[in-house]
Amino acid sequence: MYRRLLINIYQVRNGLIHTQNTRLPSTKCKERESFAPVIWAPCTARPLGTSSISFSENKESSTSLSEDKEKRPEENEAKEEVNADGQKSTEISNATLTSQLETEPVDKPEDSKQVEKTKSGKESLLELLGAMKVEVTTVRKIRPSKTPRMSERPDQEPMESTHSMFQHATAEGSQQQGTLNPALVAAVSAAASTLPNRHQAESELLKQLRKHEAVPDTQRRADGQNIGHIIADMKVGGRKTNGRSSARPTSQIRFDDDGKGYTQDRGITGELDAVRRRKSPFTSKRLNIFTAGMEQDTLSVLGPTLWDIDLANQIVQATNQAPRNGFEEMIQWTKEGKLWQYPINNEAGLEEEASVPFHEHVFLEKHLDESFPRQGPVRHFMELVITGLAKNHHLTVQQKKEHIDWFRDYFRQKDDVLKEAEA
Amino acid sequence: MASSCSQALRHHVCKSSRILRVHLQKAWPNRSFVLNPAADQQPAVSSPEEIVIPKKKTWSKEAVLQALASTVNRDPTASDYRFQDDPYLTPKTSSEFKLFSLSQESGRNAAKYFISTYPKYFQKDYAQPHIPCLMPETLEAQLEEVSEAALIERIQMRKVKAAVDLYDQLQQAGTPVSLDVTNQLLDLICFYGDCDPAQENVPEQRNEETVGQENKLSHNKRSPCLVFSFRENNNAERVFALLSEPNTHSYSALIRGMVKYGAYSKAFSTYTDLLNNQLKADVSTFNALITAAPEVKEKYNEKWELIVDLLKQMAEQKVKPNLLTLNAVLKALRRCGTVGKSQAFPVISEMRALSIDPSLASYNHLLSIFYKPGHKGQTDILQEVMNEVSGKSFTPQDPDDAQFFITAVRICLDTKDIEQAYRVHELLGVGENWRLLGNDFQQNIYHARFFSLLCMMENIDVVLKWYRDLVPSVYYPSSNVMRDLLQALDTDNRLDLIPQIWKDLKQLGHGNRQTLVEELLTLMAREKQNQEVQETFAECALDIKKMYDTGDRGKVMMSWTAGSLSDLVSVLLAAQRRQDAWEILKLFKTHNRVPSEELLDKFLTCIKESGDVNQALELVQISAGFCLPGTPKLIQRVQQEFLLSEQQK
Repeated sequence: MYRRLLINIYQVRNGLIHTQNTRLPSTKCKERESFAPVIWAPCTARPLGTSSISFSENKESSTSLSEDKEKRPEENEAKEEVNADGQKSTEISNATLTSQLETEPVDKPEDSKQVEKTKSGKESLLELLGAMKVEVTTVRKIRPSKTPRMSERPDQEPMESTHSMFQHATAEGSQQQGTLNPALVAAVSAAASTLPNRHQAESELLKQLRKHEAVPDTQRRADGQNIGHIIADMKVGGRKTNGRSSARPTSQIRFDDDGKGYTQDRGITGELDAVRRRKSPFTSKRLNIFTAGMEQDTLSVLGPTLWDIDLANQIVQATNQAPRNGFEEMIQWTKEGKLWQYPINNEAGLEEEASVPFHEHVFLEKHLDESFPRQGPVRHFMELVITGLAKNHHLTVQQKKEHIDWFRDYFRQKDDVLKEAEA
Repeated sequence: MASSCSQALRHHVCKSSRILRVHLQKAWPNRSFVLNPAADQQPAVSSPEEIVIPKKKTWSKEAVLQALASTVNRDPTASDYRFQDDPYLTPKTSSEFKLFSLSQESGRNAAKYFISTYPKYFQKDYAQPHIPCLMPETLEAQLEEVSEAALIERIQMRKVKAAVDLYDQLQQAGTPVSLDVTNQLLDLICFYGDCDPAQENVPEQRNEETVGQENKLSHNKRSPCLVFSFRENNNAERVFALLSEPNTHSYSALIRGMVKYGAYSKAFSTYTDLLNNQLKADVSTFNALITAAPEVKEKYNEKWELIVDLLKQMAEQKVKPNLLTLNAVLKALRRCGTVGKSQAFPVISEMRALSIDPSLASYNHLLSIFYKPGHKGQTDILQEVMNEVSGKSFTPQDPDDAQFFITAVRICLDTKDIEQAYRVHELLGVGENWRLLGNDFQQNIYHARFFSLLCMMENIDVVLKWYRDLVPSVYYPSSNVMRDLLQALDTDNRLDLIPQIWKDLKQLGHGNRQTLVEELLTLMAREKQNQEVQETFAECALDIKKMYDTGDRGKVMMSWTAGSLSDLVSVLLAAQRRQDAWEILKLFKTHNRVPSEELLDKFLTCIKESGDVNQALELVQISAGFCLPGTPKLIQRVQQEFLLSEQQK
């Protein structure tokens, strides 16, 4: 998700650099933003929450600058949403809205302020970038807190946002009026004409549009400070979203790019989430009988008693011990000792020699001491023998000793022959 | 010239030295394994940076095999591994599965029996190195003299009677027996309830079902022991009384034996004895007492108070509880009604605080506390439990661990919660958890519950996906479950799959279940399908007819009913197989069944399409033969719709 956000930012930036018309992407975003809540508002009835959704839409639409295909399903989605809510009249207007917005990127609302301030191209570019980033942050900011807020005060929100809208309206006055793009206004009036009470509907729709523009603006300013932190977070945090892991992953999936953004979530998973958040009974209070750091009195432990063996036996019988494949059968055989164990190091199969130190194998002179002559050909021969034995890694120390003993016996038997030859 | 020559020389020297080095490096590992690592590490250590030499890692001897085994996945088209040796013995039905797996085990046991009974014929040790488990076990005592060593030998061979006799002889001879050995003897007596263990109870038993049966058998055998077990002055108490200074172990053995053989109140009085002797009990004693607690009290509150009291005494005596304590408490809480519901979670938190993590058995008890069969339980407890356990790999720690999956899937089935069922099934795939599904019988129950839930809740494509995955490699569905599947087919309107299912049914040995077959026929006859499907239906119907005629292994199991016959006829008629249908119609007569009027009507319509006058007349005759009230109507239709000769009229 974060990677994706970053990609979005890059895309936007590239778009800004490469196309001279720097305003285009944000225009689109703004437009999307401005009409999306209209669609969403009836079905969700909480402007703040939806504004976050609209942000995400922004995001998506910014990517869709490059890949237009993504946009199509989204649109369809939006229409479906409206359909589902049975607001057929708005559906028509929205449809027209979308198509118009799609086709003609006109003067954009927000940047009129910038134009007013007459910023240099570079500055405005930076501003735009910042705006894009902040949008990203708001998405992240709002989502975790969304549901609680909804549950806490469902009624106040609309009031508040309309309030802020009025503030905007009064503060920026006619400017605001001009910010709504003419095509939008035209579309709204066209839509409103399909309704019975024409003027009222039109003004309401326009209000709505402005409102959703205004709210993000204020938020943007507030959140703009944290941008550095959050970007840093993105890079480092990666997939670990410690504090926010409670904001379920499904909501992230929802905003992912697979086209069918927000269809059938918040049904069962939403409920599940609510349950999960509600406090698990597993974290309930304890009985407080035992103290945690309690030291056990050490009883004389004699090894496994009959009871322990029986318990182990019962467990083995209760569980499924049948092997599932050949390897598991071999494991079983290995445990039973029927199979020679698979070598896992170079000392495999050296159990009986494991305790014998190396020098016992190599220095065998001590075995020649008593019974062999101190010098002469026999001694020479036996020295050759022990040299050979020292290098032989196939024999155990015991076998080497037996070998030497055999020669000892042999030479003893041939004692007279040796004497005769005066060896 | 000279310079070039020296250059060439230097070059040569360089080259040869490099070759030499390469050779040396090659030669070293061959020469000595011990030297090589040391040689490699030498420069590393001398370098200024701090090099941490990794510690020697000890691998278990199965490590390689385990790694290999983890690469093998289950093949849904193959049968269980133990049947793969012999394709002829691949089981196709659940009864075959049972038969083959049991015979395999019994063969193993028979071989073991012979080896152990006649050890003198099996003394040749071919194996190099020696394999102890292939050698005959010694079942007869080797030491004949009256001594403590002989007593220990008898205890190790679990010969209760002989050990007690020898102990008595030792006592009479005045030879002192050490406390440890006496305690072991006490363990033995209490464990087997003062009876000799059944012959089969060798620890190497692997087949669960035979063991299960044997357990039942030996339980029956033991039941007299149960009666006599802890009467006054039985061997355990006698030996115990002979001890001058019984210690914790002696008391523990006695109490556990009493609890095992149902002398619950006696166990508690022995415990009081223990306290009076200024001794401390051990954790297994407390576990046994907690298990016995619900038996000695009547009211839920009293039971719980007794348990809390025991836990407090544990804390007082500084006995650290273990997992079995937790499970014993939870198991006792199952019998405490509503108290159980309120106290289960505090108990678990208490144990968590002592860093005792619940095992699957604990969760099983928890689920049983909250979901009583027949009651509407709190649906979110299973969810909570699944949140706790999902993704974890459990090791078997308690014999009750194997009950968890069955309980969980039963609750899913009761609450029709497919989502949790998937989570349970997913948990089964984690790590070694499949071992905890239990024996073949339990596996069968689990899969039956899981699959009928699928049939109930999922659409047919998903059901069939699972069906192909589970049947018949791990699960042989019973006829009830197959009926569920048929119903699922019906609800999703995929009746065209019926012939396929019939083939499976036949293979699974359900081809002779009358109700099932009749349901199949009804489903096929109910609606008219397209031509292709109808054709396969007809084939299937004829196959079913064959099943009726020949039966299973020459034995006719099913009898025709009017309903099944008329269903059969309508299926064949729908497929335009008039001749076959005509044959079936004759069967009505031979089996003394009466066809319905609608059926004859349908038949007549079919005959009319082909225009066979004679057959129509015959039909009328058949109808008249059954004295059906609709016969005149039929005659009228024939007269109207067919061109009849005078004679025919």
